[in-house]
Amino acid sequence: MDMEMVKYLADLSKLEFSDEKLGETAQQMTSIIELMDTVKEIDVTYDAYKDNHDVFLPELRTDSVIPSMETAKIVSNAKSSDNCFVVPKVVE
Amino acid sequence: MELKDMKLRDMRKALDSKEISAKELAESYLDRIKKYDGEIKSYITVTEELAYEQAEKAQEIIDKGEAKALTGIPVAIKDNICTQGVRTTCASRILENFIPPYDATVMEKLNSQNIVMLGKTSMDEFAMGGSTQTSAFAKTVNPYNKGCVPGGSSGGSAAAVSARLAPVALGTDTGGSIRQPASFCGITGIKPTYSRVSRFGLVAFASSLDQIGTMALSAEDCGILLNAICGFDMHDGTSSREAVPDFTAKIGENMKGVKIALPKEYFAEGIDDEVRQSVLAAAEQYRAMGAELIECSMPSLKYAVSCYYLLACAEAASNLSRYDGIKYGHRTERQCDSYEELIVRSRSEGFGDEVKRRILLGNYCLSSGYYDAYYRKALALRQLVRKEYNDIFEKCDMILTPTAPTVAYSPEKTADPVSMYQADICTVTVNIAGLPAISTTCGYDKNGMPIGMSLIGKKFAEQDIIKAASAFEQGFTPVLPRM
Repeated sequence: MDMEMVKYLADLSKLEFSDEKLGETAQQMTSIIELMDTVKEIDVTYDAYKDNHDVFLPELRTDSVIPSMETAKIVSNAKSSDNCFVVPKVVE
Repeated sequence: MELKDMKLRDMRKALDSKEISAKELAESYLDRIKKYDGEIKSYITVTEELAYEQAEKAQEIIDKGEAKALTGIPVAIKDNICTQGVRTTCASRILENFIPPYDATVMEKLNSQNIVMLGKTSMDEFAMGGSTQTSAFAKTVNPYNKGCVPGGSSGGSAAAVSARLAPVALGTDTGGSIRQPASFCGITGIKPTYSRVSRFGLVAFASSLDQIGTMALSAEDCGILLNAICGFDMHDGTSSREAVPDFTAKIGENMKGVKIALPKEYFAEGIDDEVRQSVLAAAEQYRAMGAELIECSMPSLKYAVSCYYLLACAEAASNLSRYDGIKYGHRTERQCDSYEELIVRSRSEGFGDEVKRRILLGNYCLSSGYYDAYYRKALALRQLVRKEYNDIFEKCDMILTPTAPTVAYSPEKTADPVSMYQADICTVTVNIAGLPAISTTCGYDKNGMPIGMSLIGKKFAEQDIIKAASAFEQGFTPVLPRM
């Protein structure tokens, strides 16, 4: 895996790496992908019906309004103001 | 018998007969934590004050004669299980100061029995690893040899039980994270059938594979703790409505006629000789108890590690996208000019190297151009693994394998991600197929390090594998770390 691919994946993953770390990560990811490539040796086809047929769906809940977690609790682990999450200004 | 060596049934009797109080029991473990955990590093957070409060409440219930199976029993909780008001870090900088505003369903169930929580145990960051060395806060050591890892990712829970810094603990298992550390630390650990235990409030790693389970000094104690945490939960869409039996009910039944399969691939090259010999000797003991041994084959094992990592990392990449530094978790201190920059910086500072690698791998195999070759192929392999298990279970009641290819090793051996992934070969298929499995100690190597064997059961057949593990334990004398 080359550095360009790692940069592309980092971008998709919302991560950033220093130049030094990027090289090391590219090397490690190359070895990891080599291991993952063993799945290419076998000829198997995925049957989506089998999995979805097996999925256990509990009874659906009644669609009704019930008390939820209070806002103060929801923002208790965040930088907040007036019970709202605070983010950098995104609209000029 | 010393308090630290007591099993749950004896503890229950001692509490109910007022031989000891809940406070004395909690104190005995908290004192041991103070004495030994500076070295073992099994806990990230010790909840001493809360433990005494809970012990007092438990004592009131015991005094009224209303105690349940776990009332007043000290329990350690893996730090990826949400505990209301108690910091839950997942051993990650990104959740360093996260205090859950709610309890996981398993905690609600345990608290309804008035357990005494001793604290939150260390683990690999986001449960990604097999050594507990990716923990941002406590790199736990193995109580048998402090120069070795305790396994992982539930290494803190395993070491705490092994060192008798807790009588029982909750762990979680996505690819072997209960069974492998149980094996390395010479204890017993069970990963229940997928859907048996609610995952509500468990910090997600790979949602189709994650399962909460129990760790203890015996199969019976694992069963007693498991009894308390199973059952349907409307908050978990995958939760099963299957009836929950007493998982200890079959303990003591004999093994006569039980068919145990040994897949030849689990005893092939790559498994240490001492491990292989020890597990095969255990198989012979089962034969001596009247069980029938059957040789079988699981050809898909060759692809299991890749299949597992593709599925797990794809799910992890998606699950971990929720960490943005805004709603909760680490937020960069640096000045950010945009929303995007805030997210990228917060995530890059908060996640450790192994977590980042797995996110990259997950997004790689889900990307356009790679999805069919990797992720969809892994989904097909999952179906093949399940089919092979179904075929084997047509001819047997349970499957016996080594829990890990080796005994515990030094932390230096964890530097290469690929060899660490390959070391999961003995455990990952159980998660891929959603089956229950229990690991218990079956011997020690020449250096005295524990060797674990795993019994894999049919779906919802936890009773059977607990019975079988317990039958072996009855004739086995464990050598616990001297502490």
